[in-house]
Amino acid sequence: MLDAFSRAVVTADASTTCVNDLSALKSFIAEGNRRLDAVNAIASNASCMVSDAVAGMICENQGLIQAGGNCYPNRRMAACLRDGEIVLRYISYALLAGDASVLDDRCLNGLKETYAALGVPATSTVRAVQIMKAQAAAHIKDQPSEALAGNRLRKMGTPETGDRCASIVAEAGSYFDRVISALS
Amino acid sequence: MKSVITTVVTSADAAGRFPSSSDLESVQGSIQRAAARMEAAEKLGGNIDAVAKEAYDACIKKYPYLNDAGEANSTDTFKAKCHRDIKHYMRLIQYCLVVGGTGPLDEWGIAGSREVYRALNLPTPPYVEALSFARNRGCAPRDLSAQALTEYNALLDYAINSLS
Repeated sequence: MLDAFSRAVVTADASTTCVNDLSALKSFIAEGNRRLDAVNAIASNASCMVSDAVAGMICENQGLIQAGGNCYPNRRMAACLRDGEIVLRYISYALLAGDASVLDDRCLNGLKETYAALGVPATSTVRAVQIMKAQAAAHIKDQPSEALAGNRLRKMGTPETGDRCASIVAEAGSYFDRVISALS
Repeated sequence: MKSVITTVVTSADAAGRFPSSSDLESVQGSIQRAAARMEAAEKLGGNIDAVAKEAYDACIKKYPYLNDAGEANSTDTFKAKCHRDIKHYMRLIQYCLVVGGTGPLDEWGIAGSREVYRALNLPTPPYVEALSFARNRGCAPRDLSAQALTEYNALLDYAINSLS
């Protein structure tokens, strides 16, 4: 497993040079608190994010909870929620490390084949991940939609930054996209 | 590669939980100390040729017998290799400064070094002398800030201890 720093070192070692361009790492350090707030936003809202994503996925495809669907009976629904949480957890690790290697090695490697063997529909899984991606962006920006969240709305109350952590939102989005492309 | 962040992620993953607030705090602590390391890494990376050359010259000066026929520094090829080895250590130290741990030195410098030096019949005291020279050469605030120098020297000490 690598983080942003060891990734730079491994890359430099491949050409036997020093790590000459430290600007990316310096901005990683300068924006460290934003990153930690972002990870905290995901970790603190994880169960809500996962259950909403799975519920949203089922709303759009009711067949999943009919007899024969992949979220029927409860045992399979529970497995689905568990998997959603696992995916989100590895994304939070990747976001903390600033590198996708932990997500790739420990979560995505072989996931598509496993789901194919178990008969888990990729389109539904991808939809749930897409919903989590939107949720993560809302929570990291600390702008969850009041219209949609209703009484479940929860703001983190972290200090507001001018661009609402656009770079971290984009980075988190890239990890969700990585999951989506690994599954489809 | 071991660092504060990967250690935190590994233990969180082993427990199957999201990063906790204490996890985030330890990462924050590491990030707060990182500025000094980056400064040292930047300075060392920019001057690695000069630093390695000085250290190499110092160890040959202390152990002139290495220039004798048949010794480790006798031919131009050997001299280039000796210099390269010192530079190699300095580069690994720069990596350690970037990562914020001794992982690169441990994995790419120290592991197996004893066996290699024994097999090639290389003496370790000159390495120690070269690194010690670098250890005592840095000066704050002339070369870099006091905190950065502390980080740099600590890694040189670590490399010296591994060889002696």
